[in-house]
Amino acid sequence: MSDRITRCRPLLGTFVEVTADSDPAIEAAFQAIARVHDLMSAHAPDSDVSRINRFAHEHPIEVDPQTATVLERALHWSKQSAGAFDVVAAGAAAIRSGQLPLHPGQPKPRAAHWSWVEVCDLTVGFLRPGCMDLGGIAKGYAVDRAVAAMKALGALSGLVNAGGDMAGFGPRSWPAQVVQPESRRAIANVGVSNGAIATSSLQPDGSAGHLVGRAAGLVSATVCAPSAMDADALTKIVLSGSPAAGTCLKQAGAQAFVLTAEGAIRAIEPELEAA
Amino acid sequence: MRSTGANWFTILPAAVVAVAPSAAHATVYMSVEQAQQAMFPGAKFIDRSTAITDPQRKIIARASATGDVPRTQRLWEARNGSGRAGWLILDRVIGKHEFITYAIALTPDGTVKRVEILEYRETYGGEVRNARWRQQFVGKHFGSQLKLGGDIQNISGATLSSRHITDGVRRVLATYQLLLRNE
Repeated sequence: MSDRITRCRPLLGTFVEVTADSDPAIEAAFQAIARVHDLMSAHAPDSDVSRINRFAHEHPIEVDPQTATVLERALHWSKQSAGAFDVVAAGAAAIRSGQLPLHPGQPKPRAAHWSWVEVCDLTVGFLRPGCMDLGGIAKGYAVDRAVAAMKALGALSGLVNAGGDMAGFGPRSWPAQVVQPESRRAIANVGVSNGAIATSSLQPDGSAGHLVGRAAGLVSATVCAPSAMDADALTKIVLSGSPAAGTCLKQAGAQAFVLTAEGAIRAIEPELEAA
Repeated sequence: MRSTGANWFTILPAAVVAVAPSAAHATVYMSVEQAQQAMFPGAKFIDRSTAITDPQRKIIARASATGDVPRTQRLWEARNGSGRAGWLILDRVIGKHEFITYAIALTPDGTVKRVEILEYRETYGGEVRNARWRQQFVGKHFGSQLKLGGDIQNISGATLSSRHITDGVRRVLATYQLLLRNE
């Protein structure tokens, strides 16, 4: 194997690492991630997401196909999990806790729910004033786009790690460690091989604000799935303890394990077809 | 939700975990020279590193709403055939658990062109807050302690916030406004 290069840039509110065999592949990956960041950051006042949050209750907002893709998938998982994953509830919680700013002209969201969002082709409407935060799924999507960009350039192997949401491809498995969120102590070894892995936790750095309906007794959830976007969203569903978690995992072709408050690791099996 | 034995992950034995020191993750991504060439390919670099006086530090802290303004800022003017190509500023931020060296490329008119992390050290033993521990980095040639291209540890866990970098970039831009804009 030729020399591998790893680079790191601050994007998506975290540190994004890209490993590949060539500088152009790395640059293409970061460009893809920066594009998702620009479209879906709820901090920048003129991103697709912020324009939705400011004006979509007044008139439909036209968005980039990438934003529509992520939003449609987010609503899919909201529906499948009966709201355990909910980008609108997460957005309202983030405004309340001060993690997201209210932009000029943006209404203060009240009690909020994913079913207030209507996506029609490339336009998005809010039935009532709401605020969405795609932070719980867009990071995974950005990782998928970065992998696609590297493959499009002919890269034979690569790994993207956006703050723990990672996807890798190539002839060999990429070794990774899942850590305890607070102590950062390694708790499990995993291999990332032509697929994705993501971990969500209730612990530090404000990441708990995204999580709605958290289950008592779970510290973190790790999901392995074909796509990082699905893995990212599914971590929240598993961590919530939702009874729909097994069905959702199966639908995504995913597997999961959780770290409990007692320090035990427990595998979650995708639900088998109802007998 | 059902639990089962699964084979796609390996639980690390408690014994290994017990003897392991507190987690420390350190990665060097780039040297300063590599950052220069990546951010301004083919340019020549003039060292314009500067001391920042205490009154200047106060102004920068106020303008950027950040503390911890350094007493010196390492920076280079990038020049190519047609004149000034921009600035490369080396900076550090210290978070609760991390110590990060990064480079900011500015266009000639002071717009952020790119931010690259050069070195990331994460520690959970409390050393980051220890002033003497910080001091050991002062004056060190960057990157002298860790070898480039070592094994990368890919970590999945709680998402680390890059907020300190955002604050650092704001502080560096205030430094640019005060010290470099009219250069």
